[in-house]
Amino acid sequence: MEVSSSFGPIDIAVSGMQAQNKQIGAISSNVANAQSTDNGDGSPYRRLEAIFRAVGDEIDGVTVDEIAADMSEFPRILKPGHPDADDQGYVSMPNVDLPIEMINLTVATRAYQANVAVMKRYQRMVESTLELLR
Amino acid sequence: MSEISSIVDFLEAGIKAEGLRQRAITNNVANLQTPGYRRVDVRFEQLLANALDSNGAADLDEIEPDVYQPRQTPVKSNGNDVSLETEVGEMVKNTLRHRAYVGLLKKNYQQIETAINVR
Repeated sequence: MEVSSSFGPIDIAVSGMQAQNKQIGAISSNVANAQSTDNGDGSPYRRLEAIFRAVGDEIDGVTVDEIAADMSEFPRILKPGHPDADDQGYVSMPNVDLPIEMINLTVATRAYQANVAVMKRYQRMVESTLELLR
Repeated sequence: MSEISSIVDFLEAGIKAEGLRQRAITNNVANLQTPGYRRVDVRFEQLLANALDSNGAADLDEIEPDVYQPRQTPVKSNGNDVSLETEVGEMVKNTLRHRAYVGLLKKNYQQIETAINVR
């Protein structure tokens, strides 16, 4: 006998919340490292982004199986006194754009809230079914 | 008569399992930041289903809810695998199941009460 949890929408909403949580984690790392000219190996910090994938081809929610680095070019600014400056006095800065990160943060927060709203609504649906037992 | 008591027994066992699962979830949330902690869950419905599959009838005294570590969720850098979202979802599911069982139990007693009050 198969035991069905029969609360699929709750698991899916939870997977959405977890995925958005990872995205928010990547964004906070980007914001915190917006000025980091050295990530340990001599190159500047590379912007991170959570990559969302649907689980399976059934209705199974979402997952983040990869936090990918943004391979776009590093902006260079003139800062001759900086220890990481090259021969011409230019410093490569992280490819993080703060306004973009803030917009992405708003999108991720709203998406998280949307998943919470789905879970709440589904909970109310089941509760209204249980009302029939009164 | 035995029919009625078996329904109550099943519901009682279910409610007990939900109570234990609620404790497991509370324990997981309390250990959200504990290094090396792995989340625990309660296995009961599957054990009951297995017993019903093999015997056709389950002896509820022999089926005990079982606390175990699923070890399926991704582990964080501190060796802990508790996710607050998962626990909240589990708690919502647990609450809904609990309400369903209590509602059914109440309905069952209401039926008995109706039978007693027939004059």
